[in-house]
Amino acid sequence: MSQDNEKIYRGRIKVPYSHTAGKYVKKFLVEIGKNDRIMGVKCPNCGKVYVPPKMICFECFKKMDEWVEVGKQGVVKGFTVVTHSTPVMPLEPPFGYGIIRLDGADTDFVHIIKEGDPSKLNVGMRVEAVFKDRRQKKVTDIEYFKPL
Amino acid sequence: MAKKKHKKKAFEIRWKTDLPYKYSMGKLSVKFFKVLKEERKLLGSKCPKCGKVHFPPRAVCAECLVLMTLDDMVEVPSVGTLVGFTVVNYPFVDPQTGGMRPFPYGYGLFQLDGVDTYTMHFINEKEVKNMQIGQRVSAVFKDKDEMEGNLGDIPYFEIIEEE
Amino acid sequence: MAKNEVGIVGIGQTKFTSKRRDVNIPEMIYEAVDMALDDAHLEPNDIDAILIGNMDHFEGINFSEMWCGIDAAPGYLKPVVKVATGGTTGSSLGIAGYYNVASGIYDKVLVVGWEKLNEGGATTGIITAFDPVWERPSLAGALGPLALMANMYMNKYNVSPETAAMVTVKNRGNAANNPFAHLQMPDIDLDYVMNSQMISYPLRLNDCCPQSEGACAVIYANEQEARKIRDNPAWFHSVATAHYYAYGCDDVMFDLPTATIASKKAYKKAGIKDPIKDLDVAEVYEPTSWAELSWTEALGFAEKGKGGDLIKEGITQMGGELPVNPSGGVLSTNPIGATALLRIAEAAIQVMGRGDKRQVPDVEKALGMGFGGSLWTELVILGNEPLR
Repeated sequence: MSQDNEKIYRGRIKVPYSHTAGKYVKKFLVEIGKNDRIMGVKCPNCGKVYVPPKMICFECFKKMDEWVEVGKQGVVKGFTVVTHSTPVMPLEPPFGYGIIRLDGADTDFVHIIKEGDPSKLNVGMRVEAVFKDRRQKKVTDIEYFKPL
Repeated sequence: MAKKKHKKKAFEIRWKTDLPYKYSMGKLSVKFFKVLKEERKLLGSKCPKCGKVHFPPRAVCAECLVLMTLDDMVEVPSVGTLVGFTVVNYPFVDPQTGGMRPFPYGYGLFQLDGVDTYTMHFINEKEVKNMQIGQRVSAVFKDKDEMEGNLGDIPYFEIIEEE
Repeated sequence: MAKNEVGIVGIGQTKFTSKRRDVNIPEMIYEAVDMALDDAHLEPNDIDAILIGNMDHFEGINFSEMWCGIDAAPGYLKPVVKVATGGTTGSSLGIAGYYNVASGIYDKVLVVGWEKLNEGGATTGIITAFDPVWERPSLAGALGPLALMANMYMNKYNVSPETAAMVTVKNRGNAANNPFAHLQMPDIDLDYVMNSQMISYPLRLNDCCPQSEGACAVIYANEQEARKIRDNPAWFHSVATAHYYAYGCDDVMFDLPTATIASKKAYKKAGIKDPIKDLDVAEVYEPTSWAELSWTEALGFAEKGKGGDLIKEGITQMGGELPVNPSGGVLSTNPIGATALLRIAEAAIQVMGRGDKRQVPDVEKALGMGFGGSLWTELVILGNEPLR
């Protein structure tokens, strides 16, 4: 915490957290880890399929219990390529970051696209999820999406 | 800490933040630490309207809503009276380091002579029986070359004999 | 001048425990929200606006109104505002809900306070709420200053630790009548407190509040809507807030001057001259047993130094003239973002006559108190009829 610049106090906030994931996230990750499939939930009222899954359909405010499998492939709705570096980045730049609509889902999923050249990415292109070899029950078990 | 999944429903996501911050201290605090290091003196700020002496020094007198500037900083003695004390004896994570803060440690409320606010800080006593409200205390400063320009330069207060 | 009378028409709470491993945050909040909507016989779309609050530092999640106001409460396309004021979060929420309906801008407002406290750590989180240069290096969370305050009170008025222990015995014993409370102890005795470990002199482990997880939801309505919903809303008579200095230790404050200041304002507006006679029940925010002793004095229930007599003479016990904390208080349940809202909700439950085993007979006026931050106090007085 020492300061090399007199006018600034350099502080840090380091706190350990342990978040309860809940049944829906747990099932989502377990299905990826054990059964190699991506699951979402369907609203009994409006029929919307949410991926990643959650308990409440926020438009209808109803609990969702029906699980459906969605495809491992999807369409890119929007993307960017991250080229700058900060201390809290998940990966070394450049890397692509996209909004992906998986086949069968009605909500979008944000994840990494393994392509560092923006000219090779376009809205509407298809991508496929690539799973990690060793699953760790985290959302990064989907390591990245690869362009098809 | 290894995660044992002996209960099926305990599914947790663990992580540790490590966020760097650059807090602007403000002119009065900058001067405070400079004078502490170079002259081994403590400064407070005095309200030009009501005359209240504030320690730690700050830029605004809360009651008058009047600005206190560098010119309103006054020297305050580094001795005072113990108004309350405790010995903290439970484990918790210190957010500045991410690790446990060592305990037990003495912690007290003091009023420095001539100052109108109170100060909470470490005391170098770990036994409750050695402390009493009304004792005289004195701030202890680090050696000049060890001073870093933060509150750690006053590592603790100690109980002194009354003259 | 308030435009409308405001009544509490629906209340929901989760069963408070130390760790809710079965649900994540929105799922936990939904339990309380669902219960409140059911209680008021309202549909999600009947709610006009939502106020939601917690203390971010505990969960490390800062945008929670985004998915707690939407995924856990019927906030989709509605106004959702977060209120976060440390320990007073719950009572600030309670008072902000009142302002929103009293102003006439919204007819029905849902207010939710919650905390999943053990995802982070309470003391660690509280330290990050304070000044990084001057206070964080030595601050020991909330318990350090509370211990100092107990130390000064004990010394000034010569109050014994056994007197403070009686507060824990009263409150955790009362909690046995409250099915939602975290620590319910029907057989508690003084030894249980006096034999527990000293964690920060003079506070023993059982002089201090627990760390709980849970949520509380309250639905407010203006007079016209409230009377359609139920025949026994809890009506707001007055609210008061008092803040003090910047740094937590700027003034000695063990006798909580902000509570004295706020209570004078609140009592005047609600027509209360002698709190013991004019109030029927009080839900006081007591993070430690010593706090109830000195803060009931600050609220005008007893003279300085005589807070212990209130318990010894049975005045604040169940069955006494002014029972304090029939729900068990903060010493029994403490999910920080919800704790102060629970004081208001439990005061409302008493006024509405729905307290079951913890009901105080014939309640006409009740007090709910919030405390936190740099020793702020917030007060709410509720009644079983509108104040006209």
